[in-house]
Parts: sequence; C-alpha cells; structure tokens
Amino acid sequence: MALLTLKDIGKRYRQGEVEVQALSGINLEINEGEFAALVGPSGSGKTTLLNIIGGLDAASHGTTQLNNIDISALKEAQLSDFRLFQLGFVFQSYNLVPVLSALENVELVMVLQGRHKKECRQRAHHYLELVGLKEVMQRRPSALSGGQQQRVAVARALAAGPRLVLADEPTANLDSENATALLDIMHTLSHEDKTTFIFSTHDPRVMDRAERIITLQDGKIVNDQEHHHEHSDKHEHIN
Amino acid sequence: MTTAQPEFMSASVVSRFPILLFVAWRNIWRNPVRSSLTISALASGLIMVILYASLLEGMTRQMVHFATDISTSHMQVHRQAFIDDQDLYATLPWSYLEKIQQAHPSIQVSPRLYAAGLASSSTTSTGVLIKAVDPKTEPDVTQMLQHVRHGKLNLDIADTTENGVQRYNLVIGAQLARNMKVKPGDELVLVTQAADGSIGNALYRIAAVLKPLEPNFDRMGVLMSIEAYQQLMYLQDGFHELAIKVAEMKELASIQDTVANKLKQFAQEKSLDELGGKAVVRNWRQLSPAVADLLEMSKAFVFIIGFIIISLASLGMLNTMLMAVHERTHEFGILLAIGMKRRWLLLMVLLESFFLALVSAVVGSLLGLVINDYFEKYGIDFSSAMPDGYDWAGMIFEPVMKGYLLPADVFTASIMMIMITMLASLIPSWRTVRLKPAEVMR
Ligand SMILES: Nc1ncnc2c1ncn2[C@@H]1O[C@H](COP(=O)(O)OP(=O)(O)OP(=O)(O)O)[C@@H](O)[C@H]1O
Ligand SMILES: [Mg+2]
Repeated sequence: MALLTLKDIGKRYRQGEVEVQALSGINLEINEGEFAALVGPSGSGKTTLLNIIGGLDAASHGTTQLNNIDISALKEAQLSDFRLFQLGFVFQSYNLVPVLSALENVELVMVLQGRHKKECRQRAHHYLELVGLKEVMQRRPSALSGGQQQRVAVARALAAGPRLVLADEPTANLDSENATALLDIMHTLSHEDKTTFIFSTHDPRVMDRAERIITLQDGKIVNDQEHHHEHSDKHEHIN
Repeated sequence: MTTAQPEFMSASVVSRFPILLFVAWRNIWRNPVRSSLTISALASGLIMVILYASLLEGMTRQMVHFATDISTSHMQVHRQAFIDDQDLYATLPWSYLEKIQQAHPSIQVSPRLYAAGLASSSTTSTGVLIKAVDPKTEPDVTQMLQHVRHGKLNLDIADTTENGVQRYNLVIGAQLARNMKVKPGDELVLVTQAADGSIGNALYRIAAVLKPLEPNFDRMGVLMSIEAYQQLMYLQDGFHELAIKVAEMKELASIQDTVANKLKQFAQEKSLDELGGKAVVRNWRQLSPAVADLLEMSKAFVFIIGFIIISLASLGMLNTMLMAVHERTHEFGILLAIGMKRRWLLLMVLLESFFLALVSAVVGSLLGLVINDYFEKYGIDFSSAMPDGYDWAGMIFEPVMKGYLLPADVFTASIMMIMITMLASLIPSWRTVRLKPAEVMR
C-alpha cells in the first residue's frame, strides 16, 4: 500500500475566457520513505501538483489519498489539521516568520500541534543540530544566509514529524553548492526518519540527488524512473 | 529521535493562545516606527478625550456649584402658589423653620422672602426683585453673601436720616448697579405694594454690590435683611422659601423624602390655608432643570465627541493593520500552509491590534492624567478677557475653566478606544480569512 496515491488528477484554471489545463490524467503512487524529484519545464504543473497533494489547492478531477485519507474530501478545518500533523512544507524562499528566531520558528509548528514545551525544545535543538545550525539558532531569519534559512525550514518541517514533506523548488534561490548541500541534508534526514520527500526542481545537480525522478510536461507525467546516484554518501555541511 | 506522531490534542484556541500572543507581541515591534506612530495617534486621541471630559466635568461641577452653593442651595421648600405665581401670601409659617431643621440633624436651613418693587436712585428708576435673607443663617446654606464685588457686606440698619427715618443697608446686583449708575454708599428708594395693600416705600443705603452669580439677580436683584423686608412689606407671619443644605450630596434623595414626609405630617397637625397650596420640597435638579438637563447633555456630549475623536484616531490603526496584513500576505500563506488555522491567524492579527490599543490606552491614560493634573490645578484662565466670567443659558461660568477628572471617565474612554480600534482592525484582519495559501507556493 502506497503512502500517497493520486488517481486521475486533473486541474483546470480559468482566467476569464481562457481555460488552462494545468494537469491532466495524473496517476502516481509514492511509497513510504521515497525521495522523489518532480521535474519538468516551467509551466509544466509541478507547483500545481504539489499544491494539490498538500491540500492547498483543490483538484478539478480525481482523488488524492495519503495514508488512506482522502484529502480531496477533507473540509478546510480538517485540511489544516492534516497539514499540521501529516505534512511538512519547504517553499522556495521566505519560509520563516521574521520576528521569530530560528529556534522559535522550528518550535512554532510543534507548539501549534500541541506538543509539550519541553518536547518542542528538545526536538527543535535536535533537528537544528542535524542541519548544522546549532550555533546560529537564536538568530532571526534576517541574520541568516539564504541557505541557512532553507535549512531552518527543513528542520521545521521534519521536527513536526510529518509523513510527507513537500518542497517546491527549495533550492531555487541558492547557489549550487548550497543547493546540493541542502539536498544532501534532506536526503540524510529522509533516511534517518523514514520521512517521504517530494521536491520539485529545475537544477540537474539537485535532480541528481533524487532516488526517483518524475518528469512532467504540459500537465502530464511523461517519465517516471528510479534514479541511482553517486553522491548519496557524501554529506558536506556548509555553515 | 523518533518521528512518533504527537497525540492529537484537540486543537483548541485556548491552548494555542500563549504562542499566538507571543508572536503577536513580537510582530508589534517588527516595525517600531509605525507602531509608535499608531500608538501616538491613539494615545493623543485618548488624551484629548480625557481632557475634554475633564474640562466638561469641571464646567458642570462649576454649574452645579453655582446652582447649589451660591444661589439655590440643595433643596428648597415653597408653597405651591408661590411656585406657580409668586403669590406674596403663600408663606410657610415661621414655626416650620425649627421643625424642619429638626427633621434631620445634619441639614442646615435658612428662610427667604421675595417681592417685586421699583427702585429709584437720584437719576433713574427701575423694576427690581427684592430678596430678603437672614444674614446669620444664609451663609450656612449658600455662599451668596461672600461674593461681594464692591463695598462691604452689611444688611443692618445703616443710619437714621435728619427726619428720624431709619435706613437699612442693601446689597444689589452688579448689572443693576451699573444700569442705575449707583455705587456703595449711594441712597436708593424702594417702592412696593405691601402685604396689607398699602404702598410701602423706604429709603436705603447701598452697602455692597455682588458679583454676578445668577443672571436674574445680577440684573434686578436687591438683597435686604428679613427684618428690613418685614418693615417694608408688613408681612410677618411667614416666609416664602426655605433653603436647605445637606451635609452629603448622596443623602439628598433620602433627606428630601424625610422633609416631604415631615411637611405632610405638619399639614395634618395644623393645616395650612387653602389659597397658598401645600408645601413642596424640591431638590436643585428640580429647581434648575436647565442645569440638570445640561449636565445630562454634557455626558452625552463627551460620549459623542469622544467617539468621533477616537474613531478618527483609530483610522491610523486601520491603516497600520492594513499595511501590516498586506505586507505579510506571503508569511500568512506559509503559516496557513504549515497548519495554522485561519481563526488562529485571525486571532493573532486581532491580538496585535489589541496590544497596540492596550499600549495606547496605558500611555494615553497616564499622559492624560499628568496633563489633567495641570488643568485641575491651574485651569485655563480667561479672566483677562472676561473678568466676570460669562453667562450662558441662564448660568454663570467662572473665568477660569478648571478640569475635574472622574476616574470612571478615563476607564470608559480607554475601553471605548480599545473597542473602536478593535472594530477598525476587523477589516484588515478579515483579509487573513480570505487568504489563499496556494498563492504562496508561486
Ligand atoms: N492561479 C492560476 N490561474 C491560472 N493559471 C494558472 C494558475 N496557476 C498556474 N496556472 C497555470 O498552470 C500551469 C502550471 O503552472 P505551475 O505553476 O504548476 O507550473 P510549474 O511547473 O510550477 O512552473 P515553474 O517551474 O515555472 O514553477 C501554467 O500554465 C500556469 O500558467
Ligand atoms: Mg512552480
């Protein structure tokens, strides 16, 4: 039984008279612990697909099941609980609440989950250490580099203990050194925590880190294959 | 470390409140200049309302002071016919004086008599209102006799003329003195119809001129002793008005009841003559309905003006929060995406406004209190422009406007400000409700 099952997902956007078919006939299964990349040219529907999986947007057609929960059937309040407890998000940039320190940002989701203060603190410390930011965790996002900010976002996503982490172009604003470092961190954590990752990217070097590459074009999956890469055991932490 | 699912606690707002409060508080200091400007605007509005309320309260206190301490005192007893048409014969028996005084140990009483007459000086004549008081007890109920502008207060016999006629001293109103061009020391002749129907006339000497206290008295008032009045009017058997002063204003209603009951009881013991009607006791509000109305009105006034000032000031809050919410659309999208509930987000934004309002309320109240202190001590002095003060709507105001701040007004104004600003901030916070988290991915 797959963790995530998409059945015949279609998404149409209306812009006045013009209709855009952003996605059509998407069937996809993602298993627990997978580390999958979503690639494809600009406008191919990567963001749209991630939004639908994350319950941020509703599909026009088809069903999305995560862990046997039909996301497409959830109401707004249930969706936000679903995202709070089951999903982690890493966005392209400005992921963090600017008035909170790195540590507080990581704790925030767990506090919202209702975890005990002590547990929040412990887990936050643990994950910030894993992403190599223990020394700067009291800083606010404005005092962190882009790469550090993205690593805080990864720590935040994982500290909450999600089933699935969705990352839409998490490295788009990073140089390739930082980008590959972030990917390596994500990869390691995915292994350690058995957390499933789906991330989108344009960057071939980032793609290279994936274990599975799903290629989208014009809203359809045109290629979906296992990927064996060479760098998976080289973890360079850049601070 | 495991990725064990946390127990799914009911995601109540109550348990999330501390973190929302914390983030909201941090957000206020995100843009200190903007927050400070908002706080200054709201605090200034509140200060204005507080000072306005204080000055108006000061003015109404002055009005009540003039209405009670200076002319009417707290309560008065009259016969109904005297109230209706100043019936000269509608008197209360002298025996009432002591009996009412005994009704309640803490009250003080003083009798008064009235008549209409014609006053002539060496050059002019004019209609006057004769008011007779007991110089010994009048100061117990009002401060009328203390407000002398020229001359020296004296209502005793002044002198005896060459042909052996006794002249009593008079005290007259300032406007009357000006109109008749008389001053202390001058002679005045009063002509009137006495109680027995004869023409009463007598010579008097003006001892003093009173400051303006009450517009009517100021224009046509002539004050004399009851003794002098009785000689002029041949009216011995009673008095027209009994002024009563209570020790504590809050006892007013209960004492009024006591006096009313006593009056009923006296009438049963020995009935008054039919024509004069029954004895009636009225408090100062009933005696000066204009003052009482104005007092009520001024409360409504403070409220309306306060509402307008605070509403204007809260536009600043509206703008601040619109900007704050607008520039944080992306951040709110992220928060919604990671599982923040819309109502928590809404609450967080409202808490932010609430903090701003609360800080403004504290700052505004404190500064308001400090500035008000000055207004209470020194007031605003118009005496160079209007040495006599001014009269308006039948009331006289002192030339120095002094504040009088009721703690309740500060509280009400602060609560009102917080409520209005919270209402204003509903508009921007509402935007969080319609925010689409999908947008932040793009
Ligand atoms: N809100 C919207 N309204 C109308 N059309 C939209 C909307 N969002 C996306 N689209 C369209 O849907 C298609 C897929 O867009 P999407 O953003 O998913 O592509 P993408 O693969 O993420 O592109 P990129 O690599 O540039 O981020 C595009 O043709 C886009 O123009
Ligand atoms: Mg995209």
